[in-house]
Amino acid sequence: MSAPRSALLAAALLALAGPLFAREPLKVVATLPDLADLTQSIGGERVTVTTLCKGSENPHFVTAKPSHLVALSRAELFVQVGLSLESAFVPGLLEQCRNPRIQPGAPGFVSAGQGWTALDVPAQLDRREGDIHPEGNPHVNLAPGGGRHLAARILAGLCRVDPASKPDYEQRHAALLLRLDEAEARWKALAAGWKGRTLVVYHKEYDYLAAASGLTILGSIEPKPGIAPTPGHIAQLVAQVRAHPGTVLVSAVWSFDKHARELAAQTGAPLVELPNMVKGLPGTDTWIAMMDFVHQRLDAALRSAAPAPKAPPSPAGG
Amino acid sequence: MARSRTALLVLLALLAAPARAGAAQDSPFRTPGMPRAPQPAANPDAHQDPSQTSRFDSSFNPAFSFVVDTALDHTSTDGGAEDGFDARLRVLEFSAQAWVDPTAWAYFSAAADEDVVEIEEAAIHYTGLGGTSTLRAGRFFNDFGKQMQTHVHELRTLERPLVLRTYLGDELAGDGLQWDAWAASGDATVVRWSLGAFRSLLGESEDEDLPAAVVAERKDAEDMHLTARLTGFTEVGAAGVLQAGLSLRAAPDYAFTYAPSGDTVEGLENTVFGLDLTYGWNDASGLTRWTLGGELLQIRGDVGADVTDVGGDGDPTNDTLAIVDDDRSGWLAFADYALDARTNVGAQYSAVELLDGAGSRAGELELYYTLQFSEFHRLRFVASSYESDLDDDSLRFAIQYTALVGAHGHGVNW
Repeated sequence: MSAPRSALLAAALLALAGPLFAREPLKVVATLPDLADLTQSIGGERVTVTTLCKGSENPHFVTAKPSHLVALSRAELFVQVGLSLESAFVPGLLEQCRNPRIQPGAPGFVSAGQGWTALDVPAQLDRREGDIHPEGNPHVNLAPGGGRHLAARILAGLCRVDPASKPDYEQRHAALLLRLDEAEARWKALAAGWKGRTLVVYHKEYDYLAAASGLTILGSIEPKPGIAPTPGHIAQLVAQVRAHPGTVLVSAVWSFDKHARELAAQTGAPLVELPNMVKGLPGTDTWIAMMDFVHQRLDAALRSAAPAPKAPPSPAGG
Repeated sequence: MARSRTALLVLLALLAAPARAGAAQDSPFRTPGMPRAPQPAANPDAHQDPSQTSRFDSSFNPAFSFVVDTALDHTSTDGGAEDGFDARLRVLEFSAQAWVDPTAWAYFSAAADEDVVEIEEAAIHYTGLGGTSTLRAGRFFNDFGKQMQTHVHELRTLERPLVLRTYLGDELAGDGLQWDAWAASGDATVVRWSLGAFRSLLGESEDEDLPAAVVAERKDAEDMHLTARLTGFTEVGAAGVLQAGLSLRAAPDYAFTYAPSGDTVEGLENTVFGLDLTYGWNDASGLTRWTLGGELLQIRGDVGADVTDVGGDGDPTNDTLAIVDDDRSGWLAFADYALDARTNVGAQYSAVELLDGAGSRAGELELYYTLQFSEFHRLRFVASSYESDLDDDSLRFAIQYTALVGAHGHGVNW
């Protein structure tokens, strides 16, 4: 057999055998659609990602479903934010799925919020402070710098369970970081005019965004995390908002309710509904798109509510 | 001086040796044949964590919790015998649970009402069989239907539904062994099954004037009381979950005894069959939810015992038992609506053929409104109406206030 014919045969055999050796995509389960999007961005076609939580839900109150259990039982990598954000449904599912690959401490378990410098870490664990999280505010996915942090942890997890694909994951991660650089520059430009402005939030979800943008959170409609507002508390908020003209009221998709609308009606302050997760509202299908949406909508609300400039002092005797 | 200092050091070292042993979980000294407690690590000073090497502290403390469940109610009856207000501690439940090794965890749950403290559950779950299997041993609530597995303070209404109370008792806890496992069917369906064998699954009567079911302590294998359950749940559309289940509780050998006369009838058996169906739906936020469900039960065999007043003399000491060997059926249905994360309203109705010889009937309707102040305490308003061929009809209004403290949870209600 001549050399060219041998090479041709070998190539044909390789082409035929290729699919036999092609690896199945890595099965990943992510709690939040935000984590699913970041994982898909890094994993590309090498991963299939199942999401447990819908973008419109409150991640503290997700109802476990049969598909969650099935997906976790088959998963090779599990990604959560951690910081007790998903403590209402993740521990029970992990216990019941009986998948040793994704149990806490196993290579396939990723707590993507680990290592994040959290706000609101309680000095004392006491339920008088409401449904607080011992590790601090867990809403890392709403921090402008959160995507970068979560992506780094996800990359480490993917490389751990699938080291053969590490170069590919790293390449995609680097591309994601470039997109994040551009996005963060956009958000920074939008937020440049927000410094000193005030918000009232429903739940303490947007604290990282506020801290990064120079916004001040006057208060929250929930008097404490997870605690229903009382009439007295709403009255107090009304007084606070009136004392700070230009304040914007912020609710998430799940909390756009009568309490928020009542406060808006009583104060005249604009009420803006923001996504709290990817796919929470139309046009928020990726994490970057969601944060673009959050910044743009908040910017529009802050502009519409901008307090009237103070009138220049009248000339003496004028 | 040097010699005396050395002697002092030797003496201190000798004294320190038993003191060190005393710090371990074992005793300072051992007598022949004394049970051996877990030994401390070879070099206890190698780590700072005393863990289980001390009798008095442990970094491996289990999760503790307690529940306070109180109620204030007013009842009015047709006969007027038990009318009026009452306020009471319904239950104080104390629980602890912890993993004991990578494959097993253990827990207990003790409940105290005004009069008695009772171990409701104390069991070990072993998961080392592989797959999704769990072996459970000890005392625990049995796997029958949806609402029998639930502790009283976690029910959606004040009381366990009438049909369950009548055929299975207020609680169906047993001392025994259970195996369960689950399997996926497709991507969104789970099927789960369980089999259990127990010493006794018959409720104990606290009223000495009523016939009491009695079970022999030692028995043949075929006389062990059994439970079995097969359930499947699947997703219906994007926001719904449907669950269906079949349950069985078999008591193949027991006796009825009547304390005032001492009359006893042995060699009795009965079986309870159950069918349950539950549908849950939630909106996009996951906070507004509908839950609809029902359970249908049938009890067959020697279902009860009537007391026959021999000679009509009113003297209970010569009364005899007449066993009711028949079939009886009952059902419950409920609708629960969660307006948001904190508020539920709902209704539950249960109808039952009672276990007397005449096949009397009873029904109970409960309406409730539950306000969850936070994850850890709730207030519930309940109105219930009870109608019975045997007892006085009654109307009850109740306010239930419940607080959960600590790491509380009773596992998955399959």
